[in-house]
Amino acid sequence: MNNINGLIALLLFPSGLFIMAGGLAYQWIDRKLVAQLQNRIGPRWFQPFADVVKLLVKEEVIPEGANPWLFQAMPILALASALTAVLYVPMFGLRAAYSFPGDLIVTVYLMSVLTISIALAGTNTLTRFSLVGATRALTQLFCYEAPFLLALLGPAIAAGSWQIGEIAAYAGKNWWMIITQPVGFFIAMVGLMGKLELPPFDAPEAETEIVAGALTEYSGRGYALFRLAQGVELIVGLTLISLFYLGGISNPLFFIVKTLCLLFILAALQALLTRLRIDQTVGLWWRFIAVLGLLQFLAIAIFATWRWIG
Amino acid sequence: MHTSEHREQFIVPIGPQHPALKEPGHFEFTVDGETVTAASARLGYAHRGIEKACEQRTWVQNLYLFERVCGICSHIHATCYAAAVEKLAGVEAPPRAQAIREVVAELERIHSHLLWLGVAAHEAGFDTLFMYTWRDRETVMDLLEVITGNRVNYSANILGGVKNDITPEQSAEVLKGLDFLEKRIQHYLHVVQNDEFFLQRTRGIGVTTKEMAERLGIVGPTARASGVARDVRVDSPYIAYPQFPVNMMVEESGDLEARTVIRIKELTESCRVIRQILENMPEGEIETKMPRRIKEGEVLMRVEAPRGELWYFVKSNGGEKPERVHVRTPTIPNMASVVALAVGHQLADIPMILAGIDPCFSCQDRAVIVNYAKGGHDHWTWEDLRRYGIEYYRKQRRV
Repeated sequence: MNNINGLIALLLFPSGLFIMAGGLAYQWIDRKLVAQLQNRIGPRWFQPFADVVKLLVKEEVIPEGANPWLFQAMPILALASALTAVLYVPMFGLRAAYSFPGDLIVTVYLMSVLTISIALAGTNTLTRFSLVGATRALTQLFCYEAPFLLALLGPAIAAGSWQIGEIAAYAGKNWWMIITQPVGFFIAMVGLMGKLELPPFDAPEAETEIVAGALTEYSGRGYALFRLAQGVELIVGLTLISLFYLGGISNPLFFIVKTLCLLFILAALQALLTRLRIDQTVGLWWRFIAVLGLLQFLAIAIFATWRWIG
Repeated sequence: MHTSEHREQFIVPIGPQHPALKEPGHFEFTVDGETVTAASARLGYAHRGIEKACEQRTWVQNLYLFERVCGICSHIHATCYAAAVEKLAGVEAPPRAQAIREVVAELERIHSHLLWLGVAAHEAGFDTLFMYTWRDRETVMDLLEVITGNRVNYSANILGGVKNDITPEQSAEVLKGLDFLEKRIQHYLHVVQNDEFFLQRTRGIGVTTKEMAERLGIVGPTARASGVARDVRVDSPYIAYPQFPVNMMVEESGDLEARTVIRIKELTESCRVIRQILENMPEGEIETKMPRRIKEGEVLMRVEAPRGELWYFVKSNGGEKPERVHVRTPTIPNMASVVALAVGHQLADIPMILAGIDPCFSCQDRAVIVNYAKGGHDHWTWEDLRRYGIEYYRKQRRV
C-alpha cells in the first residue's frame, strides 16, 4: 500500500502529470498576462500544451560534436529534479508528500539543478550561441542563488525550523511575513525571475544576441522536457513564496488566488522592464539586492537571538 | 625557454539568418568573454539587380520599380526619382503636387521612425515599448491609406505630379490622426528619457563623436545625433521644402539615447510641418504633362530619406529608357559606424548598435566591380551577369 501511495505521489499527484499540466497552465497564464499588458491578444489556453505535444513528436537532432549521452540526459535530469522538488513542497494547499527536517535546503538545490543542466547542455554543444548562453546562465546563477536562499532563510529563522511544512505552519499562525519581512519577499520574487530567466534577467536567452542561448541546439523532445521543467519550477517557486510570505498552506482555493496574484506581479515586472546586460545583472544583484538581503538577514538574526535570550 | 601566448579566437557570427537581423547580412564579432575585440561585416546577400533592371524599362515603369527599393521608405525613393527625371526633362511639378509629396514623405518618416523605435526597443529587450509603438504605427499607416489608398508601397507619385489629390475630408482625417500621434510621441519621448532600465541600455552606449561621424561620412539622424548638422531638407530644400521648411534637430551626445531622442523629436517636427501644409495647401493642378522621351543629360538628385541622405544619379540618352540610374541609400555610409563602434562594447550592446543606424540591407546592396585589370570588363550585359551568377553558384556548390 505504501508503495502505491509513493507511486501516485511520484507519477500523478502532486508530482508527475498533475504538476506538469499545472506548470503549463501557469505558463499560459503568464504569457497571456504579459500579452495583455503589452496590448497583444496572447496565446489560446492550450498553446503551451500544444507546443509540448508537438515538440515531443518531433525528431530530436543531436548536433555533431556534442556528447549524445549528455545531450539527452540533461533535459531528463532537469525535469526529474524539478519533479522531485515538488514532493517536498505542500502543493495546492495540501500537505507535502514527503517531509523531513532540512527539506527546504534540498528543495532549493533541486531547483538550481534546472539552471545547471541548462548550462551543461549549452556547454556540451559547439554552437557559439549556446556557449555564450551557458556562460551567462552560470554567471547569473552565482548572482541570484545566495540572495534567493537568504530570502527563504528569513522565514526559516523566524519559524526556527528548516522544514518547509513547519515554516508554513508558523506562517499560517502569525502575521503574513510579507508585512514583517517585505525585503525578503521582494528578493524572493526577483530571485525567482532570475531563476526562470524571465525578463529583465533573460540575458542567458536574449534572442536578439544569442538566439535561444544555451538551448539553441535543442529542438524536439529535449526542448519539450526543458520547457516542462521550467513550468514545474515556476509553480514550485510561486508556491514557496506564497507559503512563506503569504500566510502558510491555507486551502486549495486561496492557494490558487495567492499564486495567481504573485504571477501577476511577475508578469507586470516582465512587461515593464528592459533586459539587463549580464554585467548589469551581476551589478544589480551584488551591489544592491544581496546587500539588502544581508541587512534583513542580520536584522532577523539579531531579533531571533534577542527573543531566544529573552 | 620560449612560450608564445596563443589565444584561440572566439567568433560570434551574426547572420545571414539571425533573430537580430530583419534582413540578411553577415557580421562576425570576435569576443573576449563578453567584450567585442574585432568586428567585420559582409553585405550583399539581398542584391536584386535593380539598377540593371531599370535600364530595361521605360521612364514611367521605373517609378514603380524604384518604389520597391525599400518597403519602408518607398515614397522617398519614388519622389527622388521623379524629381530627378523632372529636372532632366525641364518640367516642374505644380506646387500642390509638391506639397502633397511632402505630406506623404513626412507621414512616411513618422511611420519609419516609429517602426525603428519598436525595433530598437526589441533589440534592447523592451518588448512592451515595441508592441506599443507598432500599434501606434498602425494609425499613421491608416492615414497613408486614406491619402494614397495603400498602406505600404503608397504609389503617390507620377512623373510630373502626384496621383491623388487630398480632399478636405481626407485632410481632416489626417489632422485627427496627428492629434493622437502627437500625444503618443510625447509619451515615448518621456519614456526613452526617463525609463531607468531602458536608459541603462542606451545612455553612453555606442558613442559616435562628431569628429568620427564626419570622418566616416555618417548621414541622417545618426549623424544629427552626434552633432553634425546635416539634413538635405534644410541644406538644399527640394519639392515643397522651400515653402514649408522643417527645423533641423541636432543632439550632441552621439550615444544610443541621442539617436532615440532625435528620431522622436523629428516625429514632432514632422507632425508640425504636415499640419502646416494641410492648413495652407496651395491651390491648383496636381500634375503636368511629361514627355515620353527625356532629353539627353545627367542629373544628381539628393533627398532626405528617413534614414538619411539618399541620392539618385540619372543619365538619359534621349530615349524612352534611362541609360543609367545609380541609387545610393543612407545605410551604406552608416554601416561603417557599426563596425567601428562595435569594438570595445559588450556583445549585448551589438544588436542595439546595429539597429541604431536603422539599417536597411536589401536597399543598399549594389554590385561594384573594382578589379578592372583582371576581367577586362567595364560594362556588364545581362548575359554576362547571368553567366557570372551561374558560375558563381556552381563553384559554391562544387558541382
